[in-house]
Amino acid sequence: MRTLTGTGVTPLSGLGRVVWYAEEIELRDPPEPSTVDADAERERFESARETAEADLESERERAEERVGEEEAEVFGAHVQFLNDPQIAEGVEDAIADGLPAEHAVREGFSGPIEQFEGMEGRMAERADDLRDVRDRLLRVLTDAGGTDLADLPEGSILLAERLTPSDTAKLDPDRVAGFATALGGRTSHAAIFARSLGLPAVVGLGDALQEIEDGSEIVVDGESGEVIVEPDDAVRKRAAAVRDVEVRREPVATADGREIEVAANLGTLAELDGALEQGADGIGLFRTEFLFLDRESPPDEDEQYETYREALSAFPEGRVVVRTLDVGGDKPIPYLELPDSQNPFLGERGIRRSLGPDAGLFESQLRALLRAAAGEGRLAVMFPLVSTVEELESALETVERVADDLTSEGIEHAGPELGVMIETPGAVLVAEELAARVDFLSIGTNDLAQYVMAAARDDDRVADLHDPLHPPVLRAIARSVEAAHANDAWIGMCGEMAGDPDLTELLVGMELDELSMSAVTIPDVKARIVETDADAAAALAGDALESPTRHAVTNLLHQ
Amino acid sequence: MERVVEIVPEAGLHARPAAKFVETANEFDADVTVAPVAEGEDAEAVAASSMIAVTSLGVKHGEEVRLSAEGEDAEAALDALEEVLSTPEEGEE
Repeated sequence: MRTLTGTGVTPLSGLGRVVWYAEEIELRDPPEPSTVDADAERERFESARETAEADLESERERAEERVGEEEAEVFGAHVQFLNDPQIAEGVEDAIADGLPAEHAVREGFSGPIEQFEGMEGRMAERADDLRDVRDRLLRVLTDAGGTDLADLPEGSILLAERLTPSDTAKLDPDRVAGFATALGGRTSHAAIFARSLGLPAVVGLGDALQEIEDGSEIVVDGESGEVIVEPDDAVRKRAAAVRDVEVRREPVATADGREIEVAANLGTLAELDGALEQGADGIGLFRTEFLFLDRESPPDEDEQYETYREALSAFPEGRVVVRTLDVGGDKPIPYLELPDSQNPFLGERGIRRSLGPDAGLFESQLRALLRAAAGEGRLAVMFPLVSTVEELESALETVERVADDLTSEGIEHAGPELGVMIETPGAVLVAEELAARVDFLSIGTNDLAQYVMAAARDDDRVADLHDPLHPPVLRAIARSVEAAHANDAWIGMCGEMAGDPDLTELLVGMELDELSMSAVTIPDVKARIVETDADAAAALAGDALESPTRHAVTNLLHQ
Repeated sequence: MERVVEIVPEAGLHARPAAKFVETANEFDADVTVAPVAEGEDAEAVAASSMIAVTSLGVKHGEEVRLSAEGEDAEAALDALEEVLSTPEEGEE
């Protein structure tokens, strides 16, 4: 057994046999130029181009259905690249020099690919698009066409140096058990598609991936970011067990009838389908910063409005909780000029920026949200990283001012539910006062654990301290729940803790009203809720809250 | 025939807006070229019919380009291209 570590992009694991993606299509040496019939090669190129264009069009339609319209539009750009006169000229020159069509295609693309490779950021991504288009043509022309991604053997795990958007969109989640790539990050197209398709996937494994042989058995754990080669029985069983859970599309209750809302965390609209498929009751955390990342200027009010409306219309019955812009700390955005900070996690981030340097963005986001609230669906808005009552009051005043502005402009709007994220010890200590001013609280356990334990999320040396089962964190959660309920506010949890089915009984016992998590863990958590008896859960929570150590809490959970 | 146009779509002359621009340029017989104004009179003009050339200009939202067209339907081509460049993408305004 051997373990490689990369970046997990879906909280799912899969077991299967390795199929290496033959990405670089190898061409045989070209024949003597004098034996090549240039006219015939021109015709072969032209017909390959037509086939490729037709394929692209049908893939665009398929991707629209499976991963969403916006993601699918990448194929529109591919059609333009395919028909580019610069490429056509390069190919024509090579054919005139006596090369067969496939070699000419490789020649024709090489200049433009190099040109884009030398550029930065999004421009460099165009090189990937060009390679994608070139390989599509080569597959049509050579027929030997490498791996057919749409027809992989059942239970295979695809390994590749990199996967292009069209590669990933071709994978059939009913047949493929997952994929792993040497390159790519959490926000690459491949990662986004993997999440939409519900595929176990790990990216960014580096050169070590090359050592894994075709046909070997591996586990891809998209949650831990691990790829385990030749797993032992225990690992194999654990990996294979994940998918056998029934998807419950309706809200669930404990065995004795207490309803718990189970919602999805998401960052982009492309993830909506996945959330619906896994049976989410609503959205418990819509991280709006993804609307602001990877672009050169902020989205305007109307673009945001459309995004929020789309999320709301996906859940006509359920609630959609949108978190206002939460940047700073570990989330840099180029056009916001975030200051360098020695302690970014303790610096200007979350609501602190919205009430300070990003006040303009905050206002336009609130305008979009209040307008979106006027349509059907139940919108809720929450503020991140609040630690004082003053901050909350300023935020609420801004909401009021924005509502007044909209009224005087005669623009239709409505008041969404308003809430606060509980992420700092300060917020916990004034949770009563916060809850009295809003409709709900939502506990962000990752940040709460970081700040309660004074242990940075990204520092491995203190990773042990960063566990919500430490009594100080549990007690902070319990105190927040009590404060919410004493003030007739509902309380949810949207950190990693909420999506761990092993902790569901404890959280039910602690009287959380809502749990929000990555879509893929929803079926497991719903299954646990249905099995849970609220009285037994309350007793478990009571014992856990009296436990002096994490060790004691863990022992209780394993009893 | 020339015209200077400011790029309205947030993504600039990139990906989706670029694809739309090239598609539109190809609907006309006129030869159209495009050059970034910010780089001055000497900036190299590229063929508006080439996605590669247009994308590689890297023109961003708010920047200006100079469109030049020659041919019978030059004016119509410029009108159509100006429309593409001055129309926000869906969801923008």
